[in-house]
Amino acid sequence: MAQAARSRTGSIAWGPALPALLFLVALFVAPLIDNGLRSIAPPAGAPWYAYYARLVSDPFYLSSLVETVGLSVLVTALCLVAGYPVAYYLTRYAGRWRSLIVFLLISPLLTSIIMRTFGWRAIFARRGLLNTFLLDAGLVDRPIDLLGSPLSAVVGLVHVLIPFMVLSIAAVLEKLDPRIEEAAHVLGASRTQAFVRVILPLSLDGVASGTILVFMLAMGSFVTLLFLGGGSLKTFPLLIYQQFNTTRDFGMAAAMSNVLMTIAVALMFVQLRLIRRTGVS
Amino acid sequence: MSDRLRRLVWLAYVWAFFVFVFAPIAIVVVVAFQEQGYVAFPIRGYSLRWFEKVFAYKPFIDGLVTSFEVAALASVGALLLGTPAALALARHESRTADAAVTFLLSPLAVPLIVVGFAMLFYLSRFGLGTTFLGLLIAHTVVSIPYVVRTTIGVYRAIGREIEEAAEVLGATRRQVLWYVTLPAIRPGLIGGALLSFLISIDNLPVSYFFSSVDTVTLPVVMLSYMESSFDPSIAALSVVQLLIAFGGLLLVDRVYGIRSLSRTI
Repeated sequence: MAQAARSRTGSIAWGPALPALLFLVALFVAPLIDNGLRSIAPPAGAPWYAYYARLVSDPFYLSSLVETVGLSVLVTALCLVAGYPVAYYLTRYAGRWRSLIVFLLISPLLTSIIMRTFGWRAIFARRGLLNTFLLDAGLVDRPIDLLGSPLSAVVGLVHVLIPFMVLSIAAVLEKLDPRIEEAAHVLGASRTQAFVRVILPLSLDGVASGTILVFMLAMGSFVTLLFLGGGSLKTFPLLIYQQFNTTRDFGMAAAMSNVLMTIAVALMFVQLRLIRRTGVS
Repeated sequence: MSDRLRRLVWLAYVWAFFVFVFAPIAIVVVVAFQEQGYVAFPIRGYSLRWFEKVFAYKPFIDGLVTSFEVAALASVGALLLGTPAALALARHESRTADAAVTFLLSPLAVPLIVVGFAMLFYLSRFGLGTTFLGLLIAHTVVSIPYVVRTTIGVYRAIGREIEEAAEVLGATRRQVLWYVTLPAIRPGLIGGALLSFLISIDNLPVSYFFSSVDTVTLPVVMLSYMESSFDPSIAALSVVQLLIAFGGLLLVDRVYGIRSLSRTI
């Protein structure tokens, strides 16, 4: 339907688009270029790539890079595994509950990220809900330190990001004709076979766009890690924050920002190709 | 597995999923009404004292006011810049038009902490470092994609027939824009503005870099408060914020009908 409203004829009236385009060039692109230049302008005497050389040679930064990517991969995988069944249920079994489920998926976005983080803190704290429960049930002798561990950070991130995964996958599953699955059954496929060999391959586009989206958001996440990771994780966004705040090593912060931005822009192009190929957005 | 059992397993999974989604939110609401001065379970008594504290603690109120001002002005700015661009580009099917739309959406792709860090240094060159104007510009950059995306979605969905009909009936281009196009895309404009307002209110990473004495937004105040204490006033404040967001959504829905928006996108 969207395609019918578009035409190849006529030239674009650039006038109305110009203010927004110029605004972003002057106040969004220019700062990012400025930042890129700062990252290749180390103090005199050092080669231009000095900051980047340190990123990949200094064990501190190298482990931070590994942590940033590793955490994003883990969070994305968890969102995919836990979110796929919800998307499947939503499009196959939900029936008249469908719009309610969509609403429930979107409604957490009305709450601030600080509110959600605070909720997890109340659950994971030493005298929080989880420890109180474990103590009362006699499962542990004394409170365990969950807050400020990678575990609470991962749980918090999955919580924030999983709706994006579910909605991306559901958008593709929704377009599959249910009769395809029925046909597989008629032809003798078991439920598992029908899923693994028919439904899953056909939904890969949704899986891919959800994966890219969640990975991008996880890599740039900051508030959740700051309040739930408690220093146990040192990803690039946290180091940028720290370097701006205390160490004031702006050159290294600029280099890390540039790396994050480059990965994000590259992923955006991959995602665009995907959207163009499938028409799913 | 029998069909009934399978159905039960599915239902249990989806229930568990939504318990996971809503548990932390529900807990904040409960904690907001607890009496103790620190977050701990089991809860011994309930009171409204944390709500009183929220309204009595000046930094919270000042932060809320600043956040509202920035979010409102950034949404208006994004509407003024984004809407004409979206209308000019939405109906063209060419690589150039697609590239321009992609560019307008690109602030969504870059991590906010990178946007904030880069913009602070850049704007400082012009003396706009930790000023209200600098903060406003940064929020407007982040808001433009939301307005562009929703406007394009709605504008493509309404089709070109009604505009063509108006032209055939003798309307000038200005009349078509004012009496046909803008009323037709109104849900998109309202939806985009509302979305960018909510995103801006919640935007900590960008606001953080621009904070100074008179540009501290609410999330930044909450951040520094949470770094020093873990009492329920943040929970109470979160509940107030949630009510404001929910009230705003209901109000906009009453007046403009968000539901028609969710049908078109």
